[in-house]
Amino acid sequence: MEQARNYVCTECASAVPSGHKFCGACGGGVPSEAQTLETKYFGALQMPGKARLIVVRGDEAMGEGLSYLLQATEHVAGREADQIPFPSDNWLSPHHANFHYRGDRLVVRDEGSLNGVYIRTRGATPIQIGDHFMCGQQLFRVDATPKDSSGAEADQTYFYSSPRRPSAFRVTQILEGGMDGIVCCAHERTVEIGREDCDINFPDDVHMSPRHARVEMSGDTLELVDAGSQNGTYVRIRGERELSHGDYLFLGRNLLRVEVTA
Amino acid sequence: MIVCSRCSKENQDHYKFCLGCGAELPRESSKPKAFSAPTPPGGSPKVGTGTKPPRRMQAAEALVAAEPVAQAREVDPPRPVQAVRSKPAAAVEALPQELAPLAEEAQPCVNCGAQVPENFRFCHVCGHDLHAAPATNVRSDVPEERVSAPAVAAAPQRSVARAKLILIQPDGSEGEAFPLEDGSTLIGRSTGGIFANDAYLSPEHSEFRFEGDQLVVKDMESLNGIYIRVEAEVPIELFDGSVFRVGQEILRFEAPTAPDPAPDGTQLMGSPHQGFLGRVCLVIGRETTGNCFPIPPAGIHLGRERGDVVFPEDGYVSGLHCRIHSEVGHVFLTDLGSSNGTFVRVLNESFVPKGTFVLMGQQLFRADY
Repeated sequence: MEQARNYVCTECASAVPSGHKFCGACGGGVPSEAQTLETKYFGALQMPGKARLIVVRGDEAMGEGLSYLLQATEHVAGREADQIPFPSDNWLSPHHANFHYRGDRLVVRDEGSLNGVYIRTRGATPIQIGDHFMCGQQLFRVDATPKDSSGAEADQTYFYSSPRRPSAFRVTQILEGGMDGIVCCAHERTVEIGREDCDINFPDDVHMSPRHARVEMSGDTLELVDAGSQNGTYVRIRGERELSHGDYLFLGRNLLRVEVTA
Repeated sequence: MIVCSRCSKENQDHYKFCLGCGAELPRESSKPKAFSAPTPPGGSPKVGTGTKPPRRMQAAEALVAAEPVAQAREVDPPRPVQAVRSKPAAAVEALPQELAPLAEEAQPCVNCGAQVPENFRFCHVCGHDLHAAPATNVRSDVPEERVSAPAVAAAPQRSVARAKLILIQPDGSEGEAFPLEDGSTLIGRSTGGIFANDAYLSPEHSEFRFEGDQLVVKDMESLNGIYIRVEAEVPIELFDGSVFRVGQEILRFEAPTAPDPAPDGTQLMGSPHQGFLGRVCLVIGRETTGNCFPIPPAGIHLGRERGDVVFPEDGYVSGLHCRIHSEVGHVFLTDLGSSNGTFVRVLNESFVPKGTFVLMGQQLFRADY
């Protein structure tokens, strides 16, 4: 005893292979779901190339754990945005960032926001003078060593400066409100950041790992290296950036995870 | 008292910006009240111990402020920089108690009425010696010769050396003495003698003169300035731009700056701002600073080995050297009995109490009179 291998016509009990709209024996109609063997998704989330944003740490008003399915072509996030709103986070510009598709890829574009979009680094990330990055709750900027302004006056008086040593670059902490905080000139060619025993230490920052990240000058280029921290190191994107599954983004105080079905 | 609407910090009446969060405070109530408790006369910091008017002060305000300052100086008793020395070792031992939260209790200054914390030896507003009698007792252990000096100096004399700048050599011994006569004495590289070969002195660096029986030094817009040693355990107020020297290090205090308001209501993001009192920055050039550290509300300690900011490579800095702290809404620098002292840069001019150490160029002097 075996099961029939095809759809069986309800009129004449003949077998009808897929692709037929009518029964070849009696002309009876075939229901639409039996006409093709195309498999449908259980839900739209499974659609290839469609991404979703999960709010890992969120806006007070919107809460955590929310997710946004990015099904349209463009999705604007911001304090006054319709699609991905974060109304109570005043670190977000009204229209902060735009998530859109280019071909199959999801791309985030900084819409000229005041505070920018930060992406979690993967491996050593090349950075430039003026770039911003985050570790734990702290925000930093990489600065060039200022031009030496000591030396002699026209009247041959020498400027008395504190003892100095050569420094390739410096890392400046930026405080809420924009004031500069800690400035650390690179000792050799590295500035290390963490909770303890680093060049810049934040013993009170519970989101920072003991040794969190470092900025290194290798050759003539600067690199930001996460030292295996628990919460990651985030660098501000310039303009726009293609996103992959598992990327983490900071928009103001909100941490988002990107999920993309390949 | 103005309570900040943003962070609820209590600010003094003459503040324009919140000490806690830097938010702009309402203007109406920010007018200085003449002689109200901790407001300095004229609502402005005094000229003297390495102070500078706040950067944000407008030209017109500066002009208005200039006159009360000049008057204040005439009636002011000597600066809180006194020749009285406490024992450094004892001072360091006493520190753990010092670190205990300071009682909010204040006593009124008999001279100007300002509320002065109990542990202050001098009024932070007018500089009045609050413990005149005990201070005299302490002075009795100063050599006889120096105690009798004021009586001699008070008598009117003509073109006689009323004071001497004694050069202190690197090994601590006394070197040449430079006489300061009754009128004003200009000192600089161009005046020759012991000053001729110091490349860090400007040609015309400083001018010494007497005001009554007090010696006064004036900075002749020199490049590197004049630094006066502060007495151990006596707090000296810091203002935006105040410069001081610890060991070989030149440090500058920066008051907190107000955040720039964004037109669309967005705030600049950044690391948590814990109500910092300001920053202390290492001066490494005319316009350049190196490492900087924000000062949390609890203050910071500086030293070679101990403290929040350490100078492990500067052998002239004591293990624990000085601290920066806040009292009654003002920021102070206090030497903690360091061996080599903490020196504050003179902004325009300052009294030089008897026996005070003065740093000019690469050389250290003691003013004896």
